[in-house]
Amino acid sequence: MFVSDVEKAASMNLMPSRSDLKAEAAPAAKPTIAMIEIDHVSQVFQTSSRQDHLALSDISLTVDDGAFVSILGPSGCGKSTLLYIVGGFVAPTRGTARMKGNPITGPGPDRGPVFQEFALFPWKSVLGNVMYGPRQQGVKAAEAEAQSRALIEMVGLKGFEHFYPKELSGGMKQRVALARTLAYHPAVLLMDEPFGALDAHTRTRLQNDLLNIWERDRKTVLFVTHSVEEAVFLSDKVVMMSRSPGRIRQIIDIDLPRPRRRTELLLDPRYQKYVVDIERMFDDAGDDELQP
Amino acid sequence: MNGRDATRDVLLGLIPIALLLAIWQGTVSLGLAPPTLLPPPGLVFMRMAQLLATASFNQEILATLFRLFAGFSIAVVLGIAIGLAAAVSPAINAAVRPVVRVLAPLPKVALYPALLLLLGFGHESKITLVAADALFPILLSTYYGASTVEQKLIWSAMAAGTPPREILFKVILPGAAPSILTGCRIGLVISCIVVFLAEMITSTDGLGHVLITAARTFQAVDMFVPLITISLLGLILNGLLQAVRSYLLRGFPEV
Ligand SMILES: Nc1ncnc2c1ncn2[C@@H]1O[C@H](COP(=O)(O)OP(=O)(O)OP(=O)(O)O)[C@@H](O)[C@H]1O
Ligand SMILES: [Mg+2]
Repeated sequence: MFVSDVEKAASMNLMPSRSDLKAEAAPAAKPTIAMIEIDHVSQVFQTSSRQDHLALSDISLTVDDGAFVSILGPSGCGKSTLLYIVGGFVAPTRGTARMKGNPITGPGPDRGPVFQEFALFPWKSVLGNVMYGPRQQGVKAAEAEAQSRALIEMVGLKGFEHFYPKELSGGMKQRVALARTLAYHPAVLLMDEPFGALDAHTRTRLQNDLLNIWERDRKTVLFVTHSVEEAVFLSDKVVMMSRSPGRIRQIIDIDLPRPRRRTELLLDPRYQKYVVDIERMFDDAGDDELQP
Repeated sequence: MNGRDATRDVLLGLIPIALLLAIWQGTVSLGLAPPTLLPPPGLVFMRMAQLLATASFNQEILATLFRLFAGFSIAVVLGIAIGLAAAVSPAINAAVRPVVRVLAPLPKVALYPALLLLLGFGHESKITLVAADALFPILLSTYYGASTVEQKLIWSAMAAGTPPREILFKVILPGAAPSILTGCRIGLVISCIVVFLAEMITSTDGLGHVLITAARTFQAVDMFVPLITISLLGLILNGLLQAVRSYLLRGFPEV
């Protein structure tokens, strides 16, 4: 049912699928374009005790068009900060971030954030929240409403259009947040531990739904998570960071077939090996202790 | 809150009021106070019903209500405008902060003699006093509410394509609404008190003036009628504001 909803939405041109990627069966020589380039970015925060705190140190990373890239690392290593820099919400102290070659100077509808705290507008209904982006983009009210209703159906919330965020569960709120961001067609999704606050069952369902959407749509996704399994399950590439200061420790290509089915992957030795290897790397680093 | 809870709360709220009336009646019945100074409640309510049927008493109510509304509205508009401006602009904040710190704790009634000399004995002086007193709670709660709007709400709106200059009205104002409306409630109660006070001090009409006139001629019954009237007006106005609040804040948790 979910998939057919996705198809309906796609056929309504809600989510312009990229035909070149749809016919990807033979990935002979797909030219990869850099969607996002993070170029020697460092971030220094002044703490209230007037000390400089190096949150990110000399980060360089390229994210290809249509890639699903996860950022994995211990708490406080600067994952959120990195995402905020790409979002244009925070200006880096040194270095530049670029989107399609243009330096990022502020937020824009080409990069859609999905925050861990949902950040839905409490004064708007589900429909009002999802319609917000299209209306800001100048889409006529009736058209924005039709598109938004289709998206709400796609994320499995048909019938909840007139509910307020306070009347929804955590998982439902996160679905609304995702729909609200998808509604203005960002080329890049910036997701900051979007499923971190959810129970294991809801989390698994949302992971599957996100993969379904992504596999139809092939948006570029930058996905921050604490969970090794989530990162391996979803991603083409896992960026491992370390802390104090935040650096990229290693980038691991996840070479698993798509479309991915969770139940199949769990039995797949290659999947298991990725998970175990990455978890070992965390243990080796031994940087679980928080230190300023 | 569902309907049954609301009914229960109203009933619970009536108990202390009934108790107060009973104490009042008891004090008179037991002869603890001479009825010429403390008339029994029944007499006061009968007199009130009588007066409410007269055009002159209704004129007094209207005069008080007009001043109350005018002063309160000015306080709402100025309080929200200055509070929002101070929250989004560090320069305005730096300019406004010292003035607010100096003026907020000042008893505004102290300004009333000066206002009378400047603006005369009519509406203007009283409206100004009401506005001056109701302004600060509204201003401070607007400032507080607007400065604590969740950063990610603003970011979400900016990412969706909202230009920075529209963020104020599309995110900060609605986000600060719960706090602003709490400030308005406090401002409304203060307005009721201050308009009455001002009319008691110097006026030629209004409920406060009716009370003072009755007191000067030792007419105890007529003295209590305006008192009860302003309390009831306060109750009704607060109920109306509460209804507006529940509607505007229907999406927010715990109103
Ligand atoms: N506004 C700020 N002012 C000062 N320091 C900050 C600020 N924001 C973040 N930091 C610091 O920068 C570092 C990285 O923070 P960030 O939130 O990016 O970490 P994170 O990897 O997302 O952590 P988590 O996994 O717990 O969400 C932390 O040490 C934090 O103390
Ligand atoms: Mg974080």
